[in-house]
Amino acid sequence: MTGIIVGYIATLGVYFCIYNILSIGLNIQFGYAGILDFTVITFMAIGGYMAGVASLGPEQPGSQIFYILGLSLPWPVAMLIGATAAGLVGCAIGLIALRRLRSDYLAIVTLAAGSIIYGLVGNNTKIFDGFEGLVGVPQPLNGVLNLNPNSYSLFFLGFAAVIMVILWVAANRLRNSPLGRAMRATREDLEVAEAYGKNTYKLRMMAMVIGSIYVGIGGVLTIWYITALAPAGWGTSETFVVWAALIVGGVGSNGGAVIGSFLVAVVFNEATRFLPSISSNPSLIPEVRNICIGALVILTLRFRPQGVLPERKAKFPGLPERPFGEKATAVAEEV
Amino acid sequence: MDATPLLEVDGIKKAFGGVQAVDGAAFSVDEGTVTALIGPNGAGKSTVVGVIGGAIAPDEGRVSFRGEEITSLAPHRIARRGLIRTFQISREYPAMTVLENLMVSPSNQRGEKLANALFAHRSYRNQERQLAVKALDVLEDFGLYAMRDEYARNLSGGQKRLLELARSVMADPTMLILDEPMAGINPALISHIGEHILRLREAGITFLMVEHNLEVVERICDHVIVLAVGRTLAQGTMSELRANEAVVAAYLTGGIVDAGTAH
Ligand SMILES: Nc1ncnc2c1ncn2[C@@H]1O[C@H](COP(=O)(O)OP(=O)(O)O)[C@@H](O)[C@H]1O
Ligand SMILES: [Mg+2]
Repeated sequence: MTGIIVGYIATLGVYFCIYNILSIGLNIQFGYAGILDFTVITFMAIGGYMAGVASLGPEQPGSQIFYILGLSLPWPVAMLIGATAAGLVGCAIGLIALRRLRSDYLAIVTLAAGSIIYGLVGNNTKIFDGFEGLVGVPQPLNGVLNLNPNSYSLFFLGFAAVIMVILWVAANRLRNSPLGRAMRATREDLEVAEAYGKNTYKLRMMAMVIGSIYVGIGGVLTIWYITALAPAGWGTSETFVVWAALIVGGVGSNGGAVIGSFLVAVVFNEATRFLPSISSNPSLIPEVRNICIGALVILTLRFRPQGVLPERKAKFPGLPERPFGEKATAVAEEV
Repeated sequence: MDATPLLEVDGIKKAFGGVQAVDGAAFSVDEGTVTALIGPNGAGKSTVVGVIGGAIAPDEGRVSFRGEEITSLAPHRIARRGLIRTFQISREYPAMTVLENLMVSPSNQRGEKLANALFAHRSYRNQERQLAVKALDVLEDFGLYAMRDEYARNLSGGQKRLLELARSVMADPTMLILDEPMAGINPALISHIGEHILRLREAGITFLMVEHNLEVVERICDHVIVLAVGRTLAQGTMSELRANEAVVAAYLTGGIVDAGTAH
């Protein structure tokens, strides 16, 4: 019995880490640079699949499972391949979408690119085994550690948490740097940032690619944890969950992404998966879940549009206080 | 004064669909001056500013800055050469603080390099502090010091105009192009901004300024360019232009009677 509870909690913990990485990735794209990425989950899939085929062994003839590569690579290399692939796809979409200034254009291009990739991967059984998807992906260090499944889940939770913390720290450093500030300026007003000497195309491309890499790493962790990935797992509704997490938590704020992924991705999304399904209507629970998440988003936008934990004001510590503050105040108030 | 003008605009044409917004405008701005660009509504002034700044690609014509052609450069490249333009409606970065609005402006900051941002925050810490001190000085000059940690969207209309100037100064420009910097603000602040412009000219910044208020133009501008239906109608000092009937006619047909000089 305790084993089941441990496994259950470990699974929720891993999902929390993964969704957290996904929403921080989206935060870098949308929260920092204002990029409307409506196909977040596609980068998750690319990262997952590529890490999957990099760590799987060669195709077995007669197994009826077809995929490219099959390189049996060690996990750090496979992760690198997954992250790079997601970054490259992000770059390709950016090349098309970021040249134009209009954000609706961007939203449409990302949606279209997501559908094309979905169709391509699903219908072409030779790349990632089509709609059947990849199965039996080796888990990092599972062969070496020889743990029972629940202990391995706990180990994986620690593994995912370490990666999450590293990515979280990097995202915060980016946010607090002059580079992150320039990205936020492009979010606030693209044309003005450009007029003040910022290469807005480059800045947004950076945010697009870095965000895609984050989401790709989230995908790598996903395929390793469940050892399988199929197109059914990365439909448009999954993108909606990541957006919901970011909006509820607070756009622009990495702390908000943490709270948002906990609330939306863990409490609402994952926890309800474990409720007993009603046999007469098996799709009822997922539907109710999406309705609940949708309602949470609407309530947030209506009553707390800045999110649970809003973006903080930038601080400039260590600056000397000025004695002339009084004079300056007087002029400002006269205005 | 130097023989070549700082900015040269030559035969600019730009049509939007059927509207010929600019139709061969040509003029130049000498270094060290405050030059006014006046003309009735719809004369093409903002379009000319957009063409100079690189935001609008002209159909014909060329723009040179410091003797080099800048016509087809991206706006950020033009800005980095020291030519900064503002927009007719003040456009601050609303959800960033006033101080941050200024901190965005300097080009080539060390911390804008990805490797430094992620792995070496010490490499840019000193520069960041120096820039912040400078930004506070500039805010003090413009009377915005007390607002430094306020979100820019919470400033009043007049304060936003001041912020726009402060943010431009922070970019260390050679030349500033201001599109109606005094539109929609009270008379006290108009003269305030005029003083700032004169002060900055003393500090070495050249100005081209779109302005409707002829009283202001008369007081602070050395040279005036009149634009009408997309063409340069006349250039000269304000008193030269007063004697020019074409200029008076353009203003009257454009529907703008100069309230400033009427009383
Ligand atoms: N982006 C645009 N699309 C279509 N017409 C435009 C655009 N920008 C300006 N115009 C038109 O070009 C003419 C000149 O506009 P503008 O340069 O803003 O004049 P001004 O600043 O002198 O008032 C006007 O008739 C205006 O309607
Ligand atoms: Mg105008």
